[in-house]
Amino acid sequence: MQQGVLQNTEDFGANAMDGAMDGTGNDARPGRDAPYKQYVLGAAYDEMFAHGGGVRPHYAALNSRLLSLAPEELSRRQQACEQSFLQQGITFTVYSDSQATERIIPTDLLPRIVTGQEWARVDAGIKQRVTALNLFLRDIYSEGRVLKDGIVPRGMIYGSKHYRREMRGVSVPHGAYVNVCGTDLVRREDGAFVVLEDNLRVPSGVSYMLANRDVVRRAFPGVFRAASVRPIEHYPQELLTTLKSLVPFQEDVSIAVLTPGVFNSAYFEHAFLARQMGVELVEGRDLLVNDNAVYMRTTSGLKRIDVIYRRVDDDFVDPLIFRDDSELGVPGIFNAYRAGNVAIANALGTGVADDKAVYAYVPRLIRYYLSEEPILENVETFLCREEKSLSHVLANLDKLVVKAVGESGGYGMLVGPHASQPERDAFAQKLKSDPENYIAQPTIQLSTSPTYVEGGVEARHVDLRPFILTGEETRIVPGGLTRVALRRGSLVVNSSQGGGSKDTWVLSE
Amino acid sequence: MLSRVADSLYWMARYLERAEHTSRLLAVKLESMVEQSREDADASWRRVVGALAAEESVSEHSDAFVVTQALAFDRDNSSSLVSSLRFARDNARQVREQLSTEVWERLNGLYLQLQTVTIDSIWVHQPARFFRDVMEDLYTLGGLTYTTLRHGEGWHFLEMGRFIERAQLVSRLLDIHFGIVALGYGAPPPPPKYFDWLVLLKFCTAFEPYCKEHTAAIRADRIAQFLLFDSEFPHSVRFAIDRVVEALHHVAPGVPPARRAQAERLAGRLKAAVDFGQFDDLTGSSIDKFLEDISKQCEEIHNAVFSAYIVYDAEAVL
Repeated sequence: MQQGVLQNTEDFGANAMDGAMDGTGNDARPGRDAPYKQYVLGAAYDEMFAHGGGVRPHYAALNSRLLSLAPEELSRRQQACEQSFLQQGITFTVYSDSQATERIIPTDLLPRIVTGQEWARVDAGIKQRVTALNLFLRDIYSEGRVLKDGIVPRGMIYGSKHYRREMRGVSVPHGAYVNVCGTDLVRREDGAFVVLEDNLRVPSGVSYMLANRDVVRRAFPGVFRAASVRPIEHYPQELLTTLKSLVPFQEDVSIAVLTPGVFNSAYFEHAFLARQMGVELVEGRDLLVNDNAVYMRTTSGLKRIDVIYRRVDDDFVDPLIFRDDSELGVPGIFNAYRAGNVAIANALGTGVADDKAVYAYVPRLIRYYLSEEPILENVETFLCREEKSLSHVLANLDKLVVKAVGESGGYGMLVGPHASQPERDAFAQKLKSDPENYIAQPTIQLSTSPTYVEGGVEARHVDLRPFILTGEETRIVPGGLTRVALRRGSLVVNSSQGGGSKDTWVLSE
Repeated sequence: MLSRVADSLYWMARYLERAEHTSRLLAVKLESMVEQSREDADASWRRVVGALAAEESVSEHSDAFVVTQALAFDRDNSSSLVSSLRFARDNARQVREQLSTEVWERLNGLYLQLQTVTIDSIWVHQPARFFRDVMEDLYTLGGLTYTTLRHGEGWHFLEMGRFIERAQLVSRLLDIHFGIVALGYGAPPPPPKYFDWLVLLKFCTAFEPYCKEHTAAIRADRIAQFLLFDSEFPHSVRFAIDRVVEALHHVAPGVPPARRAQAERLAGRLKAAVDFGQFDDLTGSSIDKFLEDISKQCEEIHNAVFSAYIVYDAEAVL
């Protein structure tokens, strides 16, 4: 161990370790004492404080550190985090008027901590879920057993705008349609993790998971070390292994990350992953198809590509098959794919299974394909396509969250309890005119987590997005992206709607 | 290497060279103007504007403040310092995964820092100091590029961009001082005086190396000889062309000779001209022609590189 070397940093001083060792050493109460004066414990499960206000044991070390730091010091560390993101260029571009400004997605200084025991359940649960979803995708793009057996309504699948007829009969390596999955989990009031959403198309955020770890570990080195946090840094290697497993040979596999380009809001992530994996980052204009094989244009001529990790939506992949106005894609690539000359991750057509209506059926799919009980529950969901549910939803708009089926990113939704009466009335009209397009869920009090705000530490709502990699086998790094709603009381964590993110610590025990 | 990536690296280096050149010209000019009469300083400012091809952004009788603003901070002037840095950074961002973290963060940091600076904020202190700092940051960036990147194909594209740009910038600077290029505005400035030749050397970080070679005897013909034909001075045209030729040998490994031929032939021809040239042979109007040719041939090399490696017809190589 390097203890001797590291001892000169202040975080290894005695007071940082006290709390870490015995879980005591404070009686600062939320809502009463600094830095938690404004910390409001509501109906939601709180990650740090138990119901009576006591600190949960796995947060004891962090708590001790927070009590020992002067407010200015917290503020300085928060600024250092933000500065680091800006310097690294971890930004997205906001276009307004004639100006393009680069912003960082706010990152919060304080880690969100999950115990090893809690994680074991999450890990098993999301693995089970992705396994079932992959089986489901293979099924609906081949014989459609699940439809014939009446488990899922035929019209819901064949009528979905994300169902790709072109994918029928296409052989997908290992039956792994979803090679990279981001599953959004939330904690209910009772503390149980439940699944809010599956992201099966081109989920993003993993670079923030890694970048957050980098800055937060530097901000709290002592607490980090004492807590025995499981590593996540090997994610790029795991991704590379997954991508390589999509071709039958292992030598000289030519792999590329396909990005829409520098103007895409996730461009940093695309470049980051390509760099970390040591593979090419390509745009559509770098690629061409000849004789059903995909090539990239290099200075030395054309070079064959075997595997593409695409970060471009289905619609834009191949202008010959999908949207013909796409300039991001590669004409002819779908035929090369269908001929088995290039592997594409994720497979095309996965969007049909993360539809918010299909979501409601996932527990049934798990039972159907795996003959197992779901380890992680869904949030209770009303399908407005069913008449009984629709009238229930209309009668309870003030208590429900209503979401458009095909939308993501927090768009097209109504958060009933936070909406005004006119907003609810307007939404009710939309619901009545197109019920199939909507689902509703009770407002879930997402759990709250300590979050730095100017002047102290307050409770903010969070979710959790772990990333599941599936190729020949399934791999999950212990962690994920914790998104946080930075506005007090807000339940919307999307970065497009004022959300930020946090480092997520999964502990060994 | 992807053609698009080579393209971005090449341009990133060109813009960085231009940014370095601009900040050096401004630093040297702002430092030296205190020693000049008003008329001389004015003439010398106009040569700077001409050397940076920024005649359109500056009106004829602008003072130092206005010219500095235009050359350094004018976002609408595509050859200003901030524009060059923005283009360099945009290109770097597109090939972020090819650069080392050190190189990217230094360039990004410099870009972000310049976003917060205005002419007013530097003018009250020592404006020359500011441009010297920028220049030194760019030197550091050059050092990081040399020392943290693999000297593979991408690095050779950076070298090629940097030195093609340098050859053109230095020959234009010479051209302006030898009074051959008509400036795009106003009457031609009077011929350079002793002090202007000295400043020209400083524009190219050449004062001390020149003195070592030729003693402190400042003579126009020797300066031209030095800046054009010295084989060991990094800011001479000959040195720059040598680097370009060298880089050309290393890019696009495995490409058949037929596709390499045009760019290598053009670069070899230019190399021969500067390897065997000497100033005494260039009298009167032939220096005019010579400098113009250097610039034109750099342009031709650029075009040949692009059509061989970057924008080639895919059908032709299948």
